[in-house]
Amino acid sequence: MSSPEVSGISVDVDHNPYLAEGTGTVDAIVSITAGDDVVAAVAAPPDRLEAIIIDCSTSMQSPIGKFDAAKRATAAAIDELVDGTYFTIIAGTEKASAVYPRDGWPTPASAATRAEAKRAVDGLRPGGGTAMGTWLAHVRGIVVGHPGMLTHAILLTDGKDEHETPEQMRQEIALSEGQFTCDCRGVGTKWHVEELRAISSALLGTVDIVADPTDLADDFADMMRTSMGKSIPDLTLRLWTPAGARIAFVKQVAPTVEDLTHRRVEAGNQRGDYPLGSWGTEDRDYHIQVEVEPAAAGREKLAARVSVVAGDEVVGEGLVNAVWTADTEKSAQISRRVAHYTGQAELAQAVQEGLSARKSGDVPTATAKLQRAMELAVESGNDGTAKLLRGVIEVDERTGTARLRREVAAADEMALDARSTRTARVRKED
Amino acid sequence: MTDVAGRPAPEGQTACPQCAAIGDSADRFCGSCGATLSDIRRVAIPRGRDALEGAEAPCSDCGNATFVDDYCTVCGHRRPEPDRDEAELGAIVLITDRGIEHARNEDAAAAGMVVDGGTERPYAVALAVCDGVSTSGDPQIAAVAASKAGVDAMLAALAAAGKGRAVVLAGLAAAANAAATAGTDPSNPPSCTYTAAAVVPTPEGTLQITVGNVGDSRAYWFPEEPTPPQQLTVDDSLSQELIAAGASAESEVVQRGAHTLTRWLGADAEATPWSDSSVLTVTTAGPGWLLLCSDGLWNYLPEPADIARFCTGVEPAAAARALVAHALQCGGHDNITVVVFPIGGAHEFA
Repeated sequence: MSSPEVSGISVDVDHNPYLAEGTGTVDAIVSITAGDDVVAAVAAPPDRLEAIIIDCSTSMQSPIGKFDAAKRATAAAIDELVDGTYFTIIAGTEKASAVYPRDGWPTPASAATRAEAKRAVDGLRPGGGTAMGTWLAHVRGIVVGHPGMLTHAILLTDGKDEHETPEQMRQEIALSEGQFTCDCRGVGTKWHVEELRAISSALLGTVDIVADPTDLADDFADMMRTSMGKSIPDLTLRLWTPAGARIAFVKQVAPTVEDLTHRRVEAGNQRGDYPLGSWGTEDRDYHIQVEVEPAAAGREKLAARVSVVAGDEVVGEGLVNAVWTADTEKSAQISRRVAHYTGQAELAQAVQEGLSARKSGDVPTATAKLQRAMELAVESGNDGTAKLLRGVIEVDERTGTARLRREVAAADEMALDARSTRTARVRKED
Repeated sequence: MTDVAGRPAPEGQTACPQCAAIGDSADRFCGSCGATLSDIRRVAIPRGRDALEGAEAPCSDCGNATFVDDYCTVCGHRRPEPDRDEAELGAIVLITDRGIEHARNEDAAAAGMVVDGGTERPYAVALAVCDGVSTSGDPQIAAVAASKAGVDAMLAALAAAGKGRAVVLAGLAAAANAAATAGTDPSNPPSCTYTAAAVVPTPEGTLQITVGNVGDSRAYWFPEEPTPPQQLTVDDSLSQELIAAGASAESEVVQRGAHTLTRWLGADAEATPWSDSSVLTVTTAGPGWLLLCSDGLWNYLPEPADIARFCTGVEPAAAARALVAHALQCGGHDNITVVVFPIGGAHEFA
């Protein structure tokens, strides 16, 4: 498989290189940016394959209008397909079945195939169960038949994964990892955020709630447009660390928090690879923490070499050095961005733990976690999360006392959960 | 191995030897007068870690032999700057050494000549030594910039057939500007000394040696015996001022003030920290050695005759190495830089 030429990805490292004697923890924020020029310069982007999975379980019948909205959303996504993009529409129930093309073999988009596909979608009738693992398996089968293509799926559901075991679903997710990317959307409030997050996180996609079915069409069109903009196929973050060092974690921290630590694939010569998925014109930030062997004041070591790899080629690189010093004023400083993203990761965790405690009826833990989340969201300027938090917890601004709201709209709570990993960028210098 | 003489300066600019117009170093011909630009030969030290290329020492931490971006590819240890760099340009030998006590080398030296492209004989020669002021921030940046800029400006002036005094003053001005603009931290700008020499043959068959200095790096002229060796520069130091005011060279105040500079180059220096008396010309017919050095050498060999002893009956490289070795044996309390140029006479010039 040949990979298109990619060059000029910029890699910026932000960290305080100074360490006190006897310490060895190096934190760095690595920003990776693919600019317009980089994306435009991709010599020969690979063929693209889009799969839209629409939940056709019986529950999609109610309330009235939900299934029609899902069909309209699928049609809106089909309209965004760039000519020549291979695509297929899949009906998801307790099994997956091809809607268009009938034989399940993806076809290039054109005015004619888009129209045919929309007619086929329009004829869909809900009826059946929900086994999302089988849906993923179906897409995987298509990927195997189309090696080298950049495959992206959109998965829409309204309910819980019921007609397979959680273990079956986990296995299917694991088998699909690295094969294709998948954005997941839940419509209504009967689906489970953790289920869809497990899929979207492993398959490097997004997850969100679309509480009102009438918003689906815009959301689907958006997702498809974003996917059409991703012309850089799989990038890899390659991390070299010195002998004796330990990588504490590698996390994507913007636009969302995503722990990549366990996705490491050994690449030899003290290097490990972390898949980053496909890219359009965008920038993402990563927080890397490495434990190196402490050294004497005055010594300097390379704590990590961060390379961005496309195919076999290094297309961007940044160095994370460590300098030991006896000057505590230097070593005590924490990089502003490291501090910011450490807070954002804690925020995501506090929201998820708080909501989980709330569900299990542990009011004191839920209150403490969500109050802490509120502080972090307000401090860091994460207005989106702060606004959603206000839907579940009340904080008296004068006294600082917090209490959980008694009446919480299910959609608000699910939106907070689904969007908990979204981070705010570092604010400009005040 | 020495740097290839005549390799374009990294700054990317060079002066035409015919008309002195400044052009891109990569140009083979002057954009102004069309003259060939291949007749400038230059060298500057220290050349940093790159000087170790080809003769790489293994990592001092883990013994691994490969480095990328100066970091060991196994343990990540940053390769130290080489302790010493040596270069030759024609008969000129330059050595700079970290010494023993200082953590890094903040000295720099440069040499250049305008040559006849056919015979490689020089029309004229320019030398400079700089010593970074260790109390300033990153003084080695100023030392490197000033020594290179000084030699470049002198070469441009020499190429335009300037007289020795004007040539050295042009070098001083360029070096002062380079040192003043070299730093990145305005709260603690780097500063350095500057001592330069220009050697130009005269129509009478003699040689004019013009020296200029700011600070306490020195230039010496060692003619053949019986003419006594001569210190050509006057230190810009507190002790020198006290001696000028009548204090004894052996007195305690003079000894204490030996390393207190009264003039230097850098952003925090006077606009032109030199005077008429900072530039001196001697004319010579006979052979001798011109030597420039930082105080890391002359501290241990304060009298001209002390240094001159090393410069008889040996090759210039051997003499320069022996001088540096002497300073190291005496303790190497400072960085040591020496430039020696044995001159047979005007007949060696084009």
